Amino acid sequence: MELVRRLSPTARLKLFLLASAIGVGIALPYLVSPFLVGLATLALIGGLFSMSIDLLGGYGGLITLGQAGVSAAAGYGVGYMANRVGAGHTTQILTGLAVGLLVSAIFGVMAMRSDSVYFIMITLAQGMIVWGLSIRLNRITGAENGLTGISRPAGLTLYWQYYWFALGVVVLCSLLLYVLVRSPFGSATRGIRESESRMRMLGYNTSLQKFYLFMVAGFFATIAGILLVYLNQFISPSSAHLTASAIGVLQAILGGMGTLVGPLIGSFVIVFIRNVVSQYLERWPTLLGLTFIVVILFARRGIVGALSRGWRAWLLRRYGEEMTRADRQAELAADVALGAKTSGPS
Amino acid sequence: MTVALVIAAFLALWWILGQMSLRSFWIQTLNGLSFGAVLFFLASGFTLIFGLMRITNLAHGGFYLVGAYIGIMLMALTGNFFVALVVSALAIMLLGLFTERVLLRPIRGLEKPEVLLTIGLTFVLGDLSLAIWGGDPMPVPVPGFLEGPWRIGDFAYPRYRLFVLICAVVVGVVLFYIERRTRIGAMVRAGVDDRETVAALGINIKAVFTGVFMFGAFLAGFAGVIGGGFLSVLPGQDFEILLFALVVVILGGLGSLPGAVLGAVLVGLIDSFAKALVPELAFFTLFAPMALILVLRPRGLLGRES
Repeated sequence: MELVRRLSPTARLKLFLLASAIGVGIALPYLVSPFLVGLATLALIGGLFSMSIDLLGGYGGLITLGQAGVSAAAGYGVGYMANRVGAGHTTQILTGLAVGLLVSAIFGVMAMRSDSVYFIMITLAQGMIVWGLSIRLNRITGAENGLTGISRPAGLTLYWQYYWFALGVVVLCSLLLYVLVRSPFGSATRGIRESESRMRMLGYNTSLQKFYLFMVAGFFATIAGILLVYLNQFISPSSAHLTASAIGVLQAILGGMGTLVGPLIGSFVIVFIRNVVSQYLERWPTLLGLTFIVVILFARRGIVGALSRGWRAWLLRRYGEEMTRADRQAELAADVALGAKTSGPS
Repeated sequence: MTVALVIAAFLALWWILGQMSLRSFWIQTLNGLSFGAVLFFLASGFTLIFGLMRITNLAHGGFYLVGAYIGIMLMALTGNFFVALVVSALAIMLLGLFTERVLLRPIRGLEKPEVLLTIGLTFVLGDLSLAIWGGDPMPVPVPGFLEGPWRIGDFAYPRYRLFVLICAVVVGVVLFYIERRTRIGAMVRAGVDDRETVAALGINIKAVFTGVFMFGAFLAGFAGVIGGGFLSVLPGQDFEILLFALVVVILGGLGSLPGAVLGAVLVGLIDSFAKALVPELAFFTLFAPMALILVLRPRGLLGRES
């Protein structure tokens, strides 16, 4: 307790939120209906997918609109082994990993020399080509019908078992990402986001750095893709479509770009909205598009950015200025990631 | 580099001619060129907007789709193809005006948010089209004198596709003339090179921006009606045609009008021959040349180094 008391108020708040989130996360199957646990599983996986987008976009300044292509490729790797070959689960998962990483490597080489808008366009085309292949390559992907009969490994077949497994994997991946963005690798990544030319002047091979970043993000997208295909026990071309990639980006922005927890929050919000709305309304894509437009126009800092701003205002009233100086990072992360000008020195 | 490309083209040609008869070779070539023509309408507007304003308008696919649907509606109302073509394109031009003035103006200069906003707009346009016009594929009806084949000897080819090709040549010539020879074109070219200086010279650069954006939207609507005549119109086509247009500008070079021509011809031909020879890999055949260009010339064949 003495240790906790010595932390700053912000650190104490974060610790408290983290502990309660993990507590609620573990207890969830005892608290809510199986349907909601299923949704939470989906949101966790979507959150991991979105984190991989945020690693590229929020930390590296490279927004991708094709990440669903990578996770879908991994999912098809699993599905192909399960449905067409009939291989065991180890082979399925290893194939999924290999396909996801291979596709990431190819896409990474193609995109590593571009930046900003060019990067967006190239990744969009890449993702849509995976979609195009999955819709045409009947022998491997089952075209529009997709691949069915992808069973979960023993011990994960029940909904709550799979929920806890997904929770474990997502927490582990978040930890890895947490360490990663604070490592020298993370600093170099942020350096590219802030000024690629300056990084090049400092002797960094920025293209190579971007390739590594793409691979790391691709790895997490691959994990998300494999988790998703076992959740649904099915995969179809829509999982590679631009819509899926764009939802991932929206989740990251809505939650707060350049923060790890943002994409996860964004994913829970979007999954929840989608399920509530689709009970009353057929026009989900319209709502999705409008949410996109509204968030881009008015809420680019996202939920984490807004909360962090509110928290800072409270700290300012309570403790005065010196406490609040260091705490603007989360608030402004999205501004830097999306290329907005930061509002003055902190 | 150039030599390698020429050799690759010859090898591809040699392989293709080994696979099919000369007659189907010419038919596929014309198919590819007429599809390329539609892509050119789309990509030229896209590339002009980008070149001048640095705005990547991903809603261009949505503009295309809505343009095609409005064209179908106007055909049913008026029965005149050319009225439908022009009025539909004008309607999309107004949509462009709204997009530029209302949606994009508040985030002007923020390149990434601009792109993401236009993708959101695409979802809205596509889904509303589905709500209004339904999910069944339908063609834009073409006027009687363009129906049926055109024959020379024993060689027959659809008249409408030839009409599309002629349209593309006319539009291309007009575009090049405007860009190279007129005062407006000079303003646009100057704006591409140096926006600040152009504004300082007393030219209303914002009006030029809006004008170019509207013109690009006009071309997208035009492409929708023209293309809808032989590629039938259906939901999801907004994303598909956007993918093709993106590959056109990635290959040709973003912001370059000659690049749009070259890219459109290449993509049209590649797609046409791929569909005939390796139908399962139809989209993938776009991928290989794109990967090659991006690794060897990241700014595209005719793009300028930034």
